[in-house]
Amino acid sequence: MTGRFPAAAVDAGAVAPPRRRRRALRDVAVGKLPAYALLIPAAVVIGAVLGYPIYYLVRQSFLHYGLHELIFHKGTWVGLDNYTTIFHDSEFWHVVGRTLLFTVVNVALTMALGTLVALLLAQLGSFMRLLLATGLVFVWATPVVVAVAVWQWMVDYQFGVLNWTLTKLHFGDFTNHDWFVNPWTGFAIITALVVWGAIPFVAITLYAGLTQVPRELLDAASSDGASTWRVFWDVTFPLLKPIFVILTSLSIIWDFQVFNQVWLMRGTQPEQDYYVMSIYAYIKSFRVNDYGLGSAIAVVMVATMFLVAFVYIRQMVRLGEVE
Amino acid sequence: MKRRYVAVGLATALAVAAATAAALTSEAAGKPAAAKITVWLHPEAKSWPGAVSAATKAAEAKHSGAQVDVQYVDWGANTLAKLDAALAAGNAPDVVEMGNSETIKYMAAGAFTRLNAGVYPNSKTWLKGLTASCQYNGKLYCVPYYAGARAVIYRTDMYRQAGIKGTPKTLAQFVADGQKLMKKFGKNKNFSAYYHPGKNWYVALSFVEDYGGQVAVRKGGKWRGTLNSPKAIRALTVLKSIVKKLSKASKTTDESHPYPATPMAQGLAASFIGNGWELPMVSDPKWGGAPKFDRLVRAYPMPSHIKGRYLPAFLGGSDLAIPVTSKNKAIARDWIKAFTTTAAERAIAKPGNIANTTKLAGIHKNNPKVAPFAEAAKYSWFIPTSPNWPKVESSLVLQNMMVKILTGRASVKSATTTASKAITSILNSNSS
Repeated sequence: MTGRFPAAAVDAGAVAPPRRRRRALRDVAVGKLPAYALLIPAAVVIGAVLGYPIYYLVRQSFLHYGLHELIFHKGTWVGLDNYTTIFHDSEFWHVVGRTLLFTVVNVALTMALGTLVALLLAQLGSFMRLLLATGLVFVWATPVVVAVAVWQWMVDYQFGVLNWTLTKLHFGDFTNHDWFVNPWTGFAIITALVVWGAIPFVAITLYAGLTQVPRELLDAASSDGASTWRVFWDVTFPLLKPIFVILTSLSIIWDFQVFNQVWLMRGTQPEQDYYVMSIYAYIKSFRVNDYGLGSAIAVVMVATMFLVAFVYIRQMVRLGEVE
Repeated sequence: MKRRYVAVGLATALAVAAATAAALTSEAAGKPAAAKITVWLHPEAKSWPGAVSAATKAAEAKHSGAQVDVQYVDWGANTLAKLDAALAAGNAPDVVEMGNSETIKYMAAGAFTRLNAGVYPNSKTWLKGLTASCQYNGKLYCVPYYAGARAVIYRTDMYRQAGIKGTPKTLAQFVADGQKLMKKFGKNKNFSAYYHPGKNWYVALSFVEDYGGQVAVRKGGKWRGTLNSPKAIRALTVLKSIVKKLSKASKTTDESHPYPATPMAQGLAASFIGNGWELPMVSDPKWGGAPKFDRLVRAYPMPSHIKGRYLPAFLGGSDLAIPVTSKNKAIARDWIKAFTTTAAERAIAKPGNIANTTKLAGIHKNNPKVAPFAEAAKYSWFIPTSPNWPKVESSLVLQNMMVKILTGRASVKSATTTASKAITSILNSNSS
């Protein structure tokens, strides 16, 4: 989808002159009003499904809201108490650190591997490309719950194919090896699952972008004696930079709020070592019934994401302005 | 031109609003017309379908036009989260089954309707332990349903092949017998003489109780987590060494993922500590069992380290409550009444449970598949009676502690100290 942006921008440029002429004929304000009117339905829907919940979340983060308050729909105002509690909670900072590290590692791996797959797609013959693209789409189409179940079986403690293969290949005795005892190997598996699921989108989008890179530029660079590495960094990468920025911001948004993969992989009972921010907020809200505290954690998450989204949106707007 | 656009936008917005409003009102209007009650039971109730259908029939007969919809929901924290959401939305079930260690949080939050004991069958002879889990500030908020204690479920054929005569009478003998089993069957690296999933905290706390420790004590109105007391540390160290010697079960799963009956049927577990209803699972193909195990699997109370006693069993049980949000409390009450009659309780007790009334005590005496569970209840323990206790369970403090201890990621001392701190802070928190 993102790969179409350059083309879309060109189209917009082509139709611009007639629109400008029309605008000159009429009052600018009159021309804009109908456009705003047409936005109302979408704005109403967004306000209902996004704006209201966020308002509710923020309000709740200032309340003491337990099970009793949940049932009888009345919280008590406690001001910033919930925020003070989480900011003084050493576990919260552990969770934040873990979440940030998880995000950085996952985004880096997703982008690196996704780029490599995209470059491979561009180099392959049409049959192999079709095969690889089909494989990617299958991964993309796999629902998270199904993917987690499959991965869980592969790394199963007793019957998993991973332990069996490693033992057969004489990497040591992996019989009854529990990958989740050590959170580092546990998170390595979760990372593999998340990255595996995220590569198709990045690879296919970048591949679409790659097809837009003029062949002559690449040929000219290599005949000037540039290595493949040089060509990628100095020609391909700058041209596709907007796509890279958008994909990276989207990946950050997705990986920062990963929930399902961790939650389901740990059988809906994650050990403390597996708490990431989304899970911590969920546990505080729905397991411990401290909805106010859970909301405060969620608000911190939303605020962080706003920063990332800001970069993303600014990039989108700039893209529109370039042409 | 401009006006037309505005009109289109406004009309769309109005249509959306109207549709939403219509959806809301039709839902609200639909409820009182059909007097329908919803009942949430745990899946074990499928083992006494006669009692369930009889209760439904009785309630429907008493209230003409009423309908009872019995739904089966799983145990555990996820189900409670679902119940909380339903309570908040005002569409909670009219009758809900709840574990006896979970009720206190809901009673304290005012989630249950106050009940009049006299209305219900056998209320004078209800089990004391269960009745206590239904009382808050001296008032009754639920009806005891049934109780159960855990015992060792074992493969008699494997015990015989390993040359074990009779069942162990002390913990030391239990370990010695386990080592015989490991010698005989241990070639299979997945074999456990005693199958112990790491997160099974019910058994872990039974050890703590057996060695004279406690989860928490209350002094001067304040709770203090005491799992790091010398007695508790000793108990958990003993458990750790037993697990190391005898169990190959995953240290990061709990007692229902998978149910130990499955590895037992596969010959990978010679024994495990479980509830009465887990024994028939070994011979049930639905759980990977085989009918031949019907005569090969039996049970005995887990012996204590003190001769002549049993390892104190967690006195588990279930209660039935009517959430305050119910709109048909009379039907709900009559359904519970019909579901807890002596006849119904007899059916409920049949698969190895303890009936809610002492009238039916001893009905299992001659059934070797059931009697050991009732016997095991002679020595029992229960959770600290704080409205905050369910939070200790659902925030997985004990499970995490056991995983750390059994995997060796932390020493018994440091793991129990961390857990005790968490328990102290949770039990003393003032949120409901």
